[in-house]
Order: sequence, then C-alpha cells, then structure tokens
Amino acid sequence: MEEIIQHLAPLLKEISGYIYPNEIELHWGILVVIYPYITGLVAGAFILASLVKVFNVEEVQPTYRISLLTALAFLFVAPLPLLAHLGHPEKSYEIFLTPNTNSAMAMFGFVYAWYLMAVLLLEVWFDYRESLILWSQHETGLRKWIHKILSLFSTDISEKAIKFDKKAVKIITIIGIPSAFLLHGYVGFIFGSIKANPWWSSVLMPIVFLFSAIVSGIALIMIIYMVVTPLRGKEIDMRCLNKLASYLFYIMIIDFSLECLDFIHRIYESEESIKILAQLVSGKLFVSLVVIQLLMGMILPLGAIAIVKIFNLPDELKKLIYFLAALLVQVGIFTTRWNVVVGGQLFSKSFSGLTTYKMTFFGLEGLLMSIFLLLLPFLILYILFKILPPWDEARVTG
Amino acid sequence: MAKFKEKLNWRFGWLWFNKEKVFMKSWQKIPEQIRRLLVLMVLLIVLFLIVRSWLIPPDCGKYGHYRASAVDNIISQPLRYAGQVECGDCHEDHMEVKNAGYHKNLACEVCHGPAADHIENPDEVELLAPRGRGYCPLCHEYLPARPTGFPQIVSDSHNPMKPCIACHEPHDPKPPETPRECSACHAQIARTKSISHHVYVPCTRCHETPEEHKIRPRDFRPTKPQTREFCGGCHATQTPEIKGIPQVDLQTHGQRYVCWQCHYPHLPEAH
Repeated sequence: MEEIIQHLAPLLKEISGYIYPNEIELHWGILVVIYPYITGLVAGAFILASLVKVFNVEEVQPTYRISLLTALAFLFVAPLPLLAHLGHPEKSYEIFLTPNTNSAMAMFGFVYAWYLMAVLLLEVWFDYRESLILWSQHETGLRKWIHKILSLFSTDISEKAIKFDKKAVKIITIIGIPSAFLLHGYVGFIFGSIKANPWWSSVLMPIVFLFSAIVSGIALIMIIYMVVTPLRGKEIDMRCLNKLASYLFYIMIIDFSLECLDFIHRIYESEESIKILAQLVSGKLFVSLVVIQLLMGMILPLGAIAIVKIFNLPDELKKLIYFLAALLVQVGIFTTRWNVVVGGQLFSKSFSGLTTYKMTFFGLEGLLMSIFLLLLPFLILYILFKILPPWDEARVTG
Repeated sequence: MAKFKEKLNWRFGWLWFNKEKVFMKSWQKIPEQIRRLLVLMVLLIVLFLIVRSWLIPPDCGKYGHYRASAVDNIISQPLRYAGQVECGDCHEDHMEVKNAGYHKNLACEVCHGPAADHIENPDEVELLAPRGRGYCPLCHEYLPARPTGFPQIVSDSHNPMKPCIACHEPHDPKPPETPRECSACHAQIARTKSISHHVYVPCTRCHETPEEHKIRPRDFRPTKPQTREFCGGCHATQTPEIKGIPQVDLQTHGQRYVCWQCHYPHLPEAH
C-alpha cells in the first residue's frame, strides 16, 4: 500500500481537473507505442518491396531485397514489445494452442503468423532460392551448410524452375499486399474500435495508420540504403533514391490529407469530448503533436522534398536533404504513435481532467528496454545481410 | 452390395494396385521447390499437432474455454470469509443494532476482517476492530465522485485527533447530533455552490426540506423547483430589480425550456 502511494504521489501533482482513480497511471506505456511503430515499418517496407514485383517499378530494384529483409527483421521484433508489456512472455504460445476467436488481440497472433510464414518467409525463400543454391555450390564450411539448409536442399536451377520462382514471388506479393494492409490495418483497428475512447474511436484510424506505416517504411529503407551503400564502398543509385523520395512525398501528402480529414471531421462533429481533446492538443500534446509530428515530421520533410523536386540541386545536396527528411519522418511517425497511444490515455473518461505519463528507465516497460527493442531489428538485419546478402553483385555468382 | 463392390473394383482397381506408382507420378509432377516446401509444411503441422496435444491439458474445454480442473483448484483454496449469518449466531446483540442502523447493508467482515478462522476457533483466533481514525475515512472521506447524500467528512477538520468511535457507535453510526448544515451530506453540491454566484442563497430557498429529512433522508425528501417562474422569482424582469442579480424576460428567454436545462442551479454561470 505504502509503495503504491509513493509511486502515485508524484503523479497526483501532475493531474489537472477531475479524473477517476484508475486513470491516474497509464496502462499502455512506451512499449505499446513501439509496437505499432515497428509493425508499421514492416508493412511499409513490404509495400515498397511489392512495388518492384507487382507494379514493375524498375528504378527501386536495388532496394527490393533490402526492403524484404528489413520487413523480416522488424517482423521478428514486432510482437516482442507486447510480450514484454504483458509480463508473461512464456505463456504467449497459448494463444495459438487454444485460440479465443472473440479476442481481436488474440487473432492478431494469427495475422502475424500468416504474414510471417505465408508471406514474408515464402517470398524471401522463393526470391533467394536460386542464389542460395549457387552460393552453397561455391562455399565451404558453415556458410555452405547454412545456405544449403536455408534452400531446403533444393537443387533445381533449371530455367523452368527459375521461371516458377519468379511467378511464385509475384503471386505471393499480390497476396502479400492485402496481408500487409491487414497486418497494420489491424493495429489501427485495435485503437479505432475502442468506442469508449473518443481520441481513438474513428473509422479512419486503420487507414491513417496504414498510410503512415507506408511513409515510415519507405523512409526507413531510404535511410538504410543511404547508410549501407557508402559503407560497402558503392555508389548510391540516384535514380532509385529520387524515385523513393517521390513515393515518400506522394504518400506523405495522402497521409497528411487523411490526418487533416480526421481532424476536421472531429472538429465538425464536435462531440462532447471536443473540449477536453482541445485542451489535450493545446496543452500536454502540443510539443509532440503540433511541433514534432506536424511541423518537424510532416511539413518540414514535405517542404524539403518539394524544394528538391522544384530546383535542380546537386546530387550531394539532394542526398543530404533526403537523408534528413527521412530521419525527420521517422521521428514524426514515432511521435504519431506516441500521440495516439499515450495521448488517448491522458484525458479522463469524465472528460474533465488530464493526467500525465511517467516513464521508468529500468524494468520490462522502461526506456532502456524500449531502446533495446528499437535497436534489436537492426542487429537482426545485420545478421540477415550477412547470411542473405541483398546486393546486386551477390545475385550473380553462378 | 457385393455386385457394387465388384463394379467398383473393375472401375478403380487399377488405381488401387498401382497406387504407389500413381502417387509417385503425381508427386514428381509437382515442381521441386514446392515439394520441399510441402514436406516442410507437413512436418511443421505434425510437429504443431504433437506439441499441441502434449501441451493442452486434457480437461481443457470440458465446460468452456478454460481448464476444468482449475475450478477444483479454486475450490480447494482455504475459505477465509464466513459471511454475516454465521456472525449473527453468537453476536446477536450487535447484529440487532447493526440491522436497525445505517450500516445494515454492510457485512461484518468489511470492518472486522475475514472471520472463517475465528468461527472455527473462537477462543484462539480473535478478530480486531479498527479503532483509529484511518479506517472510516476509506468510505467517508470527502470525494467528489461519491454519491450526493452519502455522509462525507474532511477528516483533517472533522474533530481532529478524536477517534471516530468516540462519537459514533460503528454498529449504528448515526451522528451524535443531527447535522446542522446540508453540506454534511451534500458536500459536493455545497462546495460547488460555494464558488458560484448562488453562494449566499440558502439551500432552503429552493428546496423545502422537512426536518425529518436529516434523520431519515430517503423517506423524507426535499422538494425541487418545478417551474420557470420559480427562478423568475429573482431573475425575471417583472420582479423588482435587486442589484447584481441578472434578470431576463421570461417571455422571450428560452421559451420552451425550463431554466435548469441550460443553467446548473448550483453553479449557474456554467452552462
């Protein structure tokens, strides 16, 4: 009891107005912010990859395999924030053994499993199969066996088999696009379907989540491509980068329009919650929503890419602007998730009071764990890059 | 039946005898990579089914979406609460007092704690009763969320230092003297009114309150204003003007509504 009071005492000073006792402390903290952020990166990276296969955008070919592997690395980490948040990761398998079909959250396990097993792993396998066989023929030791096992001891690299692989990749990508939409649309759905919370309850939520996911995915691939290519001593393909920036630009405009539409809709509807939400936006969320999400994460990168598009700038300056814009977009999308998850819990259901979020540093739900979970996908990606090199020159070693 | 079997054999017998060959032929027709994936998939499914059958408790799903033996586990936990019927068997006198007072709906164990052990061993296990000032305010400390009419105090200013039981008999906690102010029970309304323009309007100006209401609040309820004209008694332009009181023409001001649909009487400036 004493411990609880000591924990809550500093929070009580931050409360304004009237709130219910169970609203003083937020139930969903930073880990639940990271979860939609990472899932969004997966969906975004995969949709970028599908541009090459389904829509035949040749310019972004150099980023195809990078996108696939990035999506895979981030997908491995996507459920970890939830497992850490729920506190009993060792029981997580139970939702697969005795699934509760009435629980949207439990059903996510199946959406996740479908996306991982039936879409991403299969597409990576079919795309890499020929390379795996060729690599294992020229390698020795452990690497040879890793590649042999990963290819499931497949040996057929006849023209017919390769043609089949390509067809399979295309079919999986076509199935993968709605699956990616489902994966991240679901995350929006989980928030959008909470009727009792006016900040979340919106039909537009899954769509806004989806487009912001695509934005963050493309920006992430731009960053990875721009960091990894010079590190490998190679030249950045400006055609590819320009195309990526164009996609980022157009999808950001759609995302921005959707967010504005959602905002206007809320203001026009002016439901009973509007006063407390206005108080929230102009007070506790002002910096993260207006300054970081809107100005730094949306308008500034949009303006920067527009300048690149209008004026004929030298390549080096273009790269710098693209890089900074992509970084700002990442910060912006992260705060978008923050504003949704944390913002939605800062006001009381009585609509007459606000609380505050106090993050811990250590522990399963702390900042340190969050930083670890955000860095983990990059470590996995590094390993994946080592095992399955996505570079063009690695493709032709037959 | 025998004829039918014979006919079936004649039609499909070749498939039966050559089934291995047919199977192998169809298997070979499948592209190599799909064959490998199929094998892996079958292996994974079989592994999943084995693990599933091994991990799911056999009685899971017997009654519903849970382990049936969990019910027995819960039943086997030791009983800690006895229920107030049991208390009444020995403490008839206290029970009688309690059942006639305001705490009649409160179970004995709310204040005295779990009593199962005491009932088993009345001499050895004694129950304690809270005697300090800390316990009663758990229910009776002023909180705006508590229902109006529920007796609430601010313990810092309500007879400080004196234990509650010095004035109130917990089994029949009626106040030693009849509350003088409405705020004793209607604390939230009193606090709201204290910051409003109605601060100097006594409660009884709008609510006719029978004296018995203070003793038996639910049986004798105060009245509430029913008409627009009641508020008009001060706020209509037709009445003599009193300095500082806003007045409106009742004929034209919000004709179809009663005043309190827009103005909260205890804080009339908020609407």
